[in-house]
Amino acid sequence: MSTVQRHYKRWRVIVILMLIGGVVMADHIGSPTFRMNMGEGGLETTLSQRQSQTSACAPCGAPCRPED
Amino acid sequence: MSATAESLKAGAPQGAPAPVSDDRRVDGFVVGVSIIGLLLLGALIALETAPFLVGLFAVGTVLGIALYHGAFGFTGGWRSFVVKKRSAGLRAQLALLALASMLFIPILGSIEPGSGMSGAVAPVGVSLVVGSFLFGFGMQLGGGCGSGTLFTVGAGNIRMVLTLVFFIVGSVIGTLHLPWWLELPGVNPVSLISGLGIWGALAIQLALCGALAWWVTQIERRHHGAIEQRVFSGPDRGYISNLFKGQWPLFWAVVVLAVGNLGVLLLSGHPWGITFAFGLWGAKILQAVGVDMSQFEFWTWDYPSLALADSVLVNVTSVTNFGLLLGAMLAAGLAGRYNQASSGRIPPRSLLAAVLGGLIMGYGARLGFGCNIGALFSGIASASLHGWIWFAAAWVGSLLGIRARPWFSLSNS
Repeated sequence: MSTVQRHYKRWRVIVILMLIGGVVMADHIGSPTFRMNMGEGGLETTLSQRQSQTSACAPCGAPCRPED
Repeated sequence: MSATAESLKAGAPQGAPAPVSDDRRVDGFVVGVSIIGLLLLGALIALETAPFLVGLFAVGTVLGIALYHGAFGFTGGWRSFVVKKRSAGLRAQLALLALASMLFIPILGSIEPGSGMSGAVAPVGVSLVVGSFLFGFGMQLGGGCGSGTLFTVGAGNIRMVLTLVFFIVGSVIGTLHLPWWLELPGVNPVSLISGLGIWGALAIQLALCGALAWWVTQIERRHHGAIEQRVFSGPDRGYISNLFKGQWPLFWAVVVLAVGNLGVLLLSGHPWGITFAFGLWGAKILQAVGVDMSQFEFWTWDYPSLALADSVLVNVTSVTNFGLLLGAMLAAGLAGRYNQASSGRIPPRSLLAAVLGGLIMGYGARLGFGCNIGALFSGIASASLHGWIWFAAAWVGSLLGIRARPWFSLSNS
């Protein structure tokens, strides 16, 4: 059995993942979904839009189509 | 196929199973970190969002593992056929389209209006043709398509990180220009299911996939006398070793990717897509540094504007991508190959190709309503005409991209 030949530095992997995690958290904390979870009302969120919207609005970037 | 996928196959003779050797050791650090990342992010999604998004995150993880262990990429498969007249990758892709069509079309043809579920259908016009052509060209320079870029980044490929960064830049620019492109001639989405019914659409799709598979097989036989046996066979290391450490026979990846895409459809209401999230991430960065994105028409449309305002953790494409990245990282750790594709010096021209390829792919993906996954795979599986047109135009772009690769110190052999 050979040993693993690492081509990376462990601390770099951890730092990069922590940075990405921090950015995701910062984005989430500033979002309507987080504010609604904290008890704030009257906000339109992606999940509430999803429940109220029945038209075809695929995440491909094409304009949303009215219901067929 | 991606750089990682290529490196996985390095040294394997064409037309024969990969060499039998199982001296690879699991990289415990990478496996541990990726599992911790999956658990932490999965828990955050579970706590803050909705159960279906946890499901999407899990499906994304499995898709990332399948892409890495199957070394499944569109770019290398196309290039291998064009340059070497080897068709295993292309046949696997056609099998994927056929299987996904069988799974999707009966469901999409049976859903009630207002169910909140729809296929990947998009307009057919100048925007689509130009966008997919550009994407095909860019993916040969970038070294991977949408899925290929993402899973190789997850596996620690530094060059592909550069491709991804400029993929994001190109996507944002594409969102700014898309409304203008949509003013050019085109028609509304064309669904073969609406026109031909479930069984008519399925018959056409399977006939097309079958005819293309037959054609590429004939060409391979004419040049080599026999066809490559990579679709159903993998390295002879035993099923358990292949399953966890790779490399999977292409057919395993085909089944997992088709069923995974079906999972995305059932959970989110839309088939699998990747590149919308790239434009979204770029727009969020611009917004964070003070750019008012609402001045751009694309970011005032219902879906993009709310996606921009809300958390990435409730954006289905982003959540699936996060799972895919960590799944590919886990698979690379299990294979003991994390970051291996980045060993050695990367030629400056290759880095330039990564920059240009990423930019062109990003721009093309927005104009073409997605990449090889969102437009080609999901579009064709949804029996949308735009998926087939995307395939044809991207193929032509890819032919030019293959010719351009040597200028950037990229090998076609």
